[in-house]
Amino acid sequence: MNPSPDQAVVAAEALTKVYRRAAEDVRALDGVSLTVRRGEFVAIVGPSGAGKTTLLNLLGCMDAPSSGRLWLEGREVQQLNERGRTHLRRERLGFVFQHFGLVPTLTVAENVALPLVFARRTADGRVSRLLEKVGLSSRRNHRPHELSGGEMQRVAIARALVNEPALLLADEPTGNLDSVTGEAVIALLRQLNAEGLTVVVVTHNPALAGAAGRQLRLADGRLAG
Amino acid sequence: MNLVVFACRNLARRPWRTALAFVGLAAAIGTLAVLSALTAGYERELRKELDRSGVQLMLVPLGCPYDAAARVLKGRVLDASLPAEALAQVRRDPAVAAAAPLLLCAQVRTNEDRADLWVGIDESAPALKPWWRVQRGKAWFSSTNGVILGSEVATLEMRAPGDRLYCPGADATFTVDGVLDRSGTSDDSLFFVPLGRAQQLFGQPGRLTAIAIRLRDPALLAEAARRLQAIPGAQVVTTTEVMGVFQNLIGTVRALLSAVAIVAVTVGCLTVLNTLLAAVLERAAELALLRALGASRSQVVLALAVEALLLTSAAALAGLLGAAFGGAWIQDAVRQWIPLAPERLATPLSLPLIGQSILLGVGTGLVAVLYPAVCALRMAPAEATRTA
Ligand SMILES: Nc1ncnc2c1ncn2[C@@H]1O[C@H](COP(=O)(O)OP(=O)(O)OP(=O)(O)O)[C@@H](O)[C@H]1O
Ligand SMILES: [Mg+2]
Repeated sequence: MNPSPDQAVVAAEALTKVYRRAAEDVRALDGVSLTVRRGEFVAIVGPSGAGKTTLLNLLGCMDAPSSGRLWLEGREVQQLNERGRTHLRRERLGFVFQHFGLVPTLTVAENVALPLVFARRTADGRVSRLLEKVGLSSRRNHRPHELSGGEMQRVAIARALVNEPALLLADEPTGNLDSVTGEAVIALLRQLNAEGLTVVVVTHNPALAGAAGRQLRLADGRLAG
Repeated sequence: MNLVVFACRNLARRPWRTALAFVGLAAAIGTLAVLSALTAGYERELRKELDRSGVQLMLVPLGCPYDAAARVLKGRVLDASLPAEALAQVRRDPAVAAAAPLLLCAQVRTNEDRADLWVGIDESAPALKPWWRVQRGKAWFSSTNGVILGSEVATLEMRAPGDRLYCPGADATFTVDGVLDRSGTSDDSLFFVPLGRAQQLFGQPGRLTAIAIRLRDPALLAEAARRLQAIPGAQVVTTTEVMGVFQNLIGTVRALLSAVAIVAVTVGCLTVLNTLLAAVLERAAELALLRALGASRSQVVLALAVEALLLTSAAALAGLLGAAFGGAWIQDAVRQWIPLAPERLATPLSLPLIGQSILLGVGTGLVAVLYPAVCALRMAPAEATRTA
């Protein structure tokens, strides 16, 4: 495979991840190759334990593969040092977690602004614009525990977008939500993708998978179909 | 929002735990500061008292020299005495600038439960007492029946110059010639009379309790001491040795104070260590989350360090403020258990001491942050997706 940098946001070649344990090695990911083009909305589906989260973590530079190669926007991740990968996470990637991952001591607005602090940027109204976009302007000074699950996940999405990433990665973003609140999150992801954002989600939710333009099925660490 | 705000919020997350760590460290640093200032001040005051006398050597009767010197300096009576020829020999020595003979005699007042100390001196005494200043009356005895009173004694006896004063032990009546200024030394509680008169009245003709000596040059000390040592029935004590006596006396007390300080500091530091360690380890997933959001390793460590330093430097400051304002009070309380405590003990905190206390607090914070920081650095950001 020869990924073209201007087209592919993600290009992976034979990604393998082996978790070494005392008793046995777990081959969580076994030679996965894939390409995600700019502006795509991709859903990764598959049974529990198939390796979906493992794959998403590798794509998000949150963990290192045991073997294989990965390019993000044409740059090979393995050739970057820790600083380079931190820079990539901070500037080019946005991550949304199943359990929201909001910092409980910070307000909604401060949570959204947190990646700006790490990037040493000023907010210049960006936090307000994003909160308006996810429909939570009125809750900006609330603490996470005062919000519903759906609202928390929308805050998390706003936070993932604050540094204007090239790629949004979401691991079961509706996994902890009921179908009604999940709908709002799905609609938000669709809207963001329609505005040009590249989105990769891992999900068990058929509604979310259906919203994606392309589905990748993962089973036993391999891509099927 | 910045890292300081972020750190403050984390400290406020468990207010009781933070408060306990804060109080523990503040108390430890306060205790350390007060006790260190106390020990330093104690030594300094003693040394000042000795230096002020301008006396470098003392000739005392054979016996325990340290005991003798300590007694003379503190204005107490000796059992043995020196022969009168000793004074002439001392004054002949080329290294001696001034030699003041003393005869001390205690007059016990059984009905008042105290003893008056009468001291016989001659004209050479004021030369060795730079602070010897007359407040009222004459500077020297106008007759052999004259007496000069220390300031405390004058108040106690309610006597002014010209008044008469009866000494029951000698069965003699004296005329008060002068009253001395307050000096803060043992002189304040002494009765001074002419040496010859004292020897006669107290049945010690020709005898002396001690001879205080000032040299022409302190460098001559060893040489002079060797020569004076040869005087029969006498021995030489240097004030440096006397200082040693005092230090031995307080040695045990000081060791005890240090032990208290060390225990307090150890407990305080361990409390902070425990608090910060627990606070960081229970937030391991949150730290991984920060990494996932784009924080670098150094930013995570910095966030933790700011948190630790805020807590420990605030505690160090509080401890020092407590020591500065409550220190005098604590020192007064402790003073009762210290032998030979000087009048003024309340010692202000010195700059090095303040620096040392702040360093200790801040150092504790940094150590407390180091270990969990290393853990946080090892963690892959992926941990965040599993647990957060
Ligand atoms: N840190 C780890 N150490 C050891 N084994 C792990 C680790 N993380 C994941 N695994 C194993 O790797 C395999 C894939 O896990 P992964 O979390 O990627 O699955 P998943 O597809 O996300 O499952 P689910 O749908 O339940 O979230 C599983 O067998 C899991 O037990
Ligand atoms: Mg998963």
